[in-house]
Amino acid sequence: MDNRRIRTSRSDHTSTCLEIASSLVAPRTFLFSQPSKGSLNFPLRRISTLSRSTMDKSQPSSFQQLEKLGEGTYATVFKGKNRQTGEMVALKEIHLDSEEGTPSTAIREISLMKELKHESIVSLYDVIHTENKLMLVFEYMDKDLKKYMDSRGDHGQLDYVTIKSFMHQLLRGIAFCHENRVLHRDLKPQNLLINKKGQLKLADFGLARAFGIPVNTFSNEVVTLWYRAPDVLLGSRTYNTSIDIWSAGCIMAEMYTGRPLFPGTTNEDQLQKIFRLMGTPSERSWPGISQFPEYKPNFHVYATQDLRLILPQIDQLGLDLLNRMLQLRPEMRISAPDALRHPWFNDLPQLQAQMQQPMVGGYGGMVGGQPNY
Amino acid sequence: MAPIQGLDSLSNALATLAQLSTSSSSLDGVPTDLEASVRFAGSLLTQAAGVLLRLPQEVIAQAVVIFTRFWIGPEGGSLAIYSAKDISAASVYLTAKLSFQPTSPRSVLNVYSFLLSKEASPLWFVNPNGPGVQPAPETYYLSEGTYQSERLVLLRMEATILRTLGFQIRVIIPHTIALTYLQTMNATSPALAKRIFEHLSAALLSPQLLYVTHQPNALAVAAIYLGAREEGVKLADGEWWKVFDVDREELGFLVVAMRSMNGFAMAEKDKWKTQPIPLIADDVMEELEKKRASDGD
Repeated sequence: MDNRRIRTSRSDHTSTCLEIASSLVAPRTFLFSQPSKGSLNFPLRRISTLSRSTMDKSQPSSFQQLEKLGEGTYATVFKGKNRQTGEMVALKEIHLDSEEGTPSTAIREISLMKELKHESIVSLYDVIHTENKLMLVFEYMDKDLKKYMDSRGDHGQLDYVTIKSFMHQLLRGIAFCHENRVLHRDLKPQNLLINKKGQLKLADFGLARAFGIPVNTFSNEVVTLWYRAPDVLLGSRTYNTSIDIWSAGCIMAEMYTGRPLFPGTTNEDQLQKIFRLMGTPSERSWPGISQFPEYKPNFHVYATQDLRLILPQIDQLGLDLLNRMLQLRPEMRISAPDALRHPWFNDLPQLQAQMQQPMVGGYGGMVGGQPNY
Repeated sequence: MAPIQGLDSLSNALATLAQLSTSSSSLDGVPTDLEASVRFAGSLLTQAAGVLLRLPQEVIAQAVVIFTRFWIGPEGGSLAIYSAKDISAASVYLTAKLSFQPTSPRSVLNVYSFLLSKEASPLWFVNPNGPGVQPAPETYYLSEGTYQSERLVLLRMEATILRTLGFQIRVIIPHTIALTYLQTMNATSPALAKRIFEHLSAALLSPQLLYVTHQPNALAVAAIYLGAREEGVKLADGEWWKVFDVDREELGFLVVAMRSMNGFAMAEKDKWKTQPIPLIADDVMEELEKKRASDGD
């Protein structure tokens, strides 16, 4: 690697300048091709909502690969720059396994992301498929919610308006996924990306899958433990959209305190941490619970605690919404569209308008500085 | 929230008229009837491999649709370049990988090595003379060396399929939709359901490419209509198919197409009773040469 080629890069970066030969780029029809609604070889049906210059060009774009942004579960993410437009992008590089071929996570992510176009979901601009790797070109975001909270000094706690704004955007993204019959299945602060405009977007659809009728038996090995819904922890294989709502509830509480709500270490410990706060369910409170594979008749019996004890800052309406999201029984959990209509969000436009006044650029001041990737 | 336009949950991407009229193979000079034969044999091969790999029919059906999609249109794959057997194997491997029942490259290649064996294969279009009583295992054994090179081909073909289809690998299968419709009409019976599944599975092999020209709800309705008639089951009065968004014209077309499947399969079998259907690009080209030579005489 030749660091001297990029003058602006910091010396500690192992930055590299990568030409992606256009001959290796997939054919023009591959992505974002001529519109003919719903036909084969036209993967993206809603091209009109995207006005990316990079996609309209018949010549594939080439990207300058800059510093590494992070290491994902199955990919490495780099910051990149479009050579033609100068636009910043995130390049997700996936190495193709010589044993297994293209990872199923990558295939799922690409096939879903191409159809999920929404302002609260990170955009997939392009896919570059070469002999030994797959490069996904995403819209550039400044940092993930975890790093954003860490950078906020106040023990990771966020202010009331930011929490409300982020929750609204998170739920809009979730609602859009669910409307399109897609479960994200792995919502956590690390998968929510924030940009300087204060926008929050869902990312990392590697574990997401489309669902249809009838509901299949899904694998229960999904969702990072801390944000995993109790029905999944109990071994349910017929879970649905409500698992994403549970995760959203956990994330909402975490934004208030700066700490994960249920930081369990094992499946059992995770359940215990949930029950200690939300109360241990029984056949009476949750008919059918004893039929779950992971149900133990000797679960320690805890009484339901008031969430206000650990979230003293939360207001009455916010607490009500949080409680509706953190229902143990999946069928009792509020849906994303209903959550968006919750009165807690009624004053959001006003609050945001007030924020705009003293702070030019909205949340711009909060992010500030060089992202510490 | 904006109304949803993309990702219709129960519909598939369909081929356009232009894609149906010109295939990459035809641009390379492969005659339409030969293309139809190879596609038919490749679909049967995919189905057989899925059965031997013990994949659910839903996964097998998806693999056949992926296989079918691959050859469509001027931008699709050409039989003069890609071998039908390789695309079939990669379709099965790829579809299984995305399902609840992934399978290993080794298993897939073992199965294909058996099904493509000139001596051991039970498939009429590979081995027209039929397998011996007990074919020697050496005739379908996949050595480690061959396995390594075949695996590279398998994974390269997987990437080729993904690229050619633009990762458009989501396939909605009409089988469960048909069952839901039957339940809605209070007409479920094991015999009828079986007949419907038979029609839907046979339609996967249709030379009219029914799965890439019609939506799953229409395929389901046509199979129900045909199955009920054959089984003598009385369905609802009136034009019940309208409830499921299918008009009389489409229903009529699909019923005729599904009923003609048997005749088509018989004709193919008759046509290729003395020689195997070419499933390798080189063999397709050879067949082309032969044809040219005989046409020239």
